[in-house]
Amino acid sequence: MRLVTRRLGLYAVTAWVAVTVNFLLPRLMPGNPIQTLIGKLTGQVTPGEIRAIRLSFGLGFHQGLIAQYFTYLTQLLHGNLGVSITLGATVSSILRQSVPWTVGLIGVSTIVSFAVGTFAGTWLGWTRGSRLDSLIPTATFFQAVPYFFLATVMLLIFGSDLHWFPVLGAYSQNVTPGWNWTFVSNVIRYGELPVISIVLSSVAGWMLGMRNMMITMVGEDFVLMAVAKGLPRRRVIMHAARNAILPSIANLSLAIGLVVSGALLVELVFNYPGVGDLLLQAVLNEDYPLIQGIFLVITLTVLAANLIADVAYFALDPRTRTEVAT
Amino acid sequence: MSYEGVRVDDASAQVSDVTANVTANVAVNATAGVEPASEFSKRLAVLDVTDFSVDYGVGDATVRAVNEVSFSLERSRVLGVAGESGSGKSTLVYALTRLLRAPGVISGGEAVLHVSREDGRVEALNMTTASEAALRSVRWSHVSIVLQSALNALNPVLRVRHEFDEVLKTHRREMSRAQRRARSAQLMALVGLNEDRLARYPHELSGGQRQRVMIALALALEPELVIMDEPTTALDVVTQREIINELNSLRSQFGFAMIFITHDLSLLVELADEIVVMYAGRIVERATAADLYATPMHPYTLGLLNSFPPLSGERRELTGIPGSPPDLSDLPSGCTFHPRCPYAMARCERETPELVVDERRGRSVACWLHVDHDSPPTPVELSGRRLRATVPVGAREEAQ
Repeated sequence: MRLVTRRLGLYAVTAWVAVTVNFLLPRLMPGNPIQTLIGKLTGQVTPGEIRAIRLSFGLGFHQGLIAQYFTYLTQLLHGNLGVSITLGATVSSILRQSVPWTVGLIGVSTIVSFAVGTFAGTWLGWTRGSRLDSLIPTATFFQAVPYFFLATVMLLIFGSDLHWFPVLGAYSQNVTPGWNWTFVSNVIRYGELPVISIVLSSVAGWMLGMRNMMITMVGEDFVLMAVAKGLPRRRVIMHAARNAILPSIANLSLAIGLVVSGALLVELVFNYPGVGDLLLQAVLNEDYPLIQGIFLVITLTVLAANLIADVAYFALDPRTRTEVAT
Repeated sequence: MSYEGVRVDDASAQVSDVTANVTANVAVNATAGVEPASEFSKRLAVLDVTDFSVDYGVGDATVRAVNEVSFSLERSRVLGVAGESGSGKSTLVYALTRLLRAPGVISGGEAVLHVSREDGRVEALNMTTASEAALRSVRWSHVSIVLQSALNALNPVLRVRHEFDEVLKTHRREMSRAQRRARSAQLMALVGLNEDRLARYPHELSGGQRQRVMIALALALEPELVIMDEPTTALDVVTQREIINELNSLRSQFGFAMIFITHDLSLLVELADEIVVMYAGRIVERATAADLYATPMHPYTLGLLNSFPPLSGERRELTGIPGSPPDLSDLPSGCTFHPRCPYAMARCERETPELVVDERRGRSVACWLHVDHDSPPTPVELSGRRLRATVPVGAREEAQ
């Protein structure tokens, strides 16, 4: 129990550091968002108008850095991430719109890729040296090809030419968003090709990792014992797989942490309305409040994913529960 | 021999029955005592191994790890297998139980396991040709195994309870959850462990406790044969002593036969009924434990005996064996032990001695020191417990 509280404390400190860095970084960088905005405006801008702009973005008050920091923290606790300079809406409302798309697309892809790769890797590790081993170079090939190239080719062949999958966007223009089957099924249909492309390009990692761990585990005494016990083959494989999966679980948590941020290429190729696309726009426009908001979400997801991984590891590997004497 | 009829090579019918009638005879005979060469003692056997060979690899790179080994193990008896690392002793038992991993292959001979079924019939199962399904049916319920390192043999992420549960679930389907729990606790008590240890993970137990768990697990289904592959090697001497005592009392309680593998010959002397000594994949000497200890006939046996302090008894000088075990891919000519043997003669370099059975003494040895004599050669020099290097053997024989 002490171990758990110590871990949680560590996460709290890490989160605080992340939030603070997130606060400081834009203020330490050269350039000024207001100047950028004014630069975009045409015609004469009076000092009064500049003041009005500053005020509308909550920058009107001349506070010291420390005071700004506490204002920032207080606003953060209320879920207030400021107002986007270019989009004119609150950052939190913009994020609420785009985060679910990314999490849905990349989250599903990551889990499918993990599941397929782990199952394939388990079997490949068990039957090592068989003809099935030729799956490995095939899978590695798809991982080695640059993703944007693979995705573009797939989009062209299966989307534009063969019309097997719909192209562009997260759902058809003909359906209205809402929690009904028509819309949900449409979203799934539009998500198929992006998901397949992501799985294809990432499955080799899971497969190889699991296969190699399985080969190590199959040589272990407890697997020999499982055979000696006369257990059915499925249970013998389970004995090995139960141990072999541990490193994959750690990797999965890291992959989940990258779900929010790692979607840029996918969203560009498939024109998907997610966080990656949003971040690109925000950076191009020097939209600091939005960049800050996105960074904060990314940081917190990585932290949360790590926490989940810790808990999962805790549950799966009893050896990590042993407290180290300090 | 009528017994040969029982041996079946056809994979579709590896299991044949010996009539219940025979079993009855066996029971009568068991109380009357065992005659070594009788027809009945054959049927009392739990394992018959004939000309068993095991190779590692195939083609040109083949290395013979076990070379034409034969022995028979009777019910409730303990066979000790002794030898250095690389002598083939572990390979032998893994191959016998078909647990040998690639690139190990059984290259000759056969091993017949005599399985007592619930209805009292005895079935002979040829382990060398048995199908996976037939093997699964005898594994653990008839032959169980205890490995050297219990830490590696127990799955590190599973509780001890799970190991028991799994075995009982697989082989005793009729048992309820409560019955399995009760049985696990009972088995733990048998090896002197509290049942609260069932909720522990392997890494939370001490080495001795883990090995006790393994032994309890091996006895879970009351098999006829338990194979022990150096079960005490990784333990300290005090724990080793406790485990050996434990095994002796469990054996008198349940009467399972045992193959006990170790390089510690003095340990075997206390535990085993009969001992085979292996060198470079061959059996070089076979004798009862008492005979082997009192009058070792093969110089290698003597070397092994002089390498370990006895667990009890008088102190003696430890000398060890000069040199190291031979490279199996490049064995010495003639007797494979001759480069290390203080008694080596010119003949030993040229000709390989066969394992010769000495009918009168009921023991066998593969050594030129003990053949070509009308009367059995005196093993006096050997039993003197000192390796007298380069004693001119011929001179000694003339003196007699």
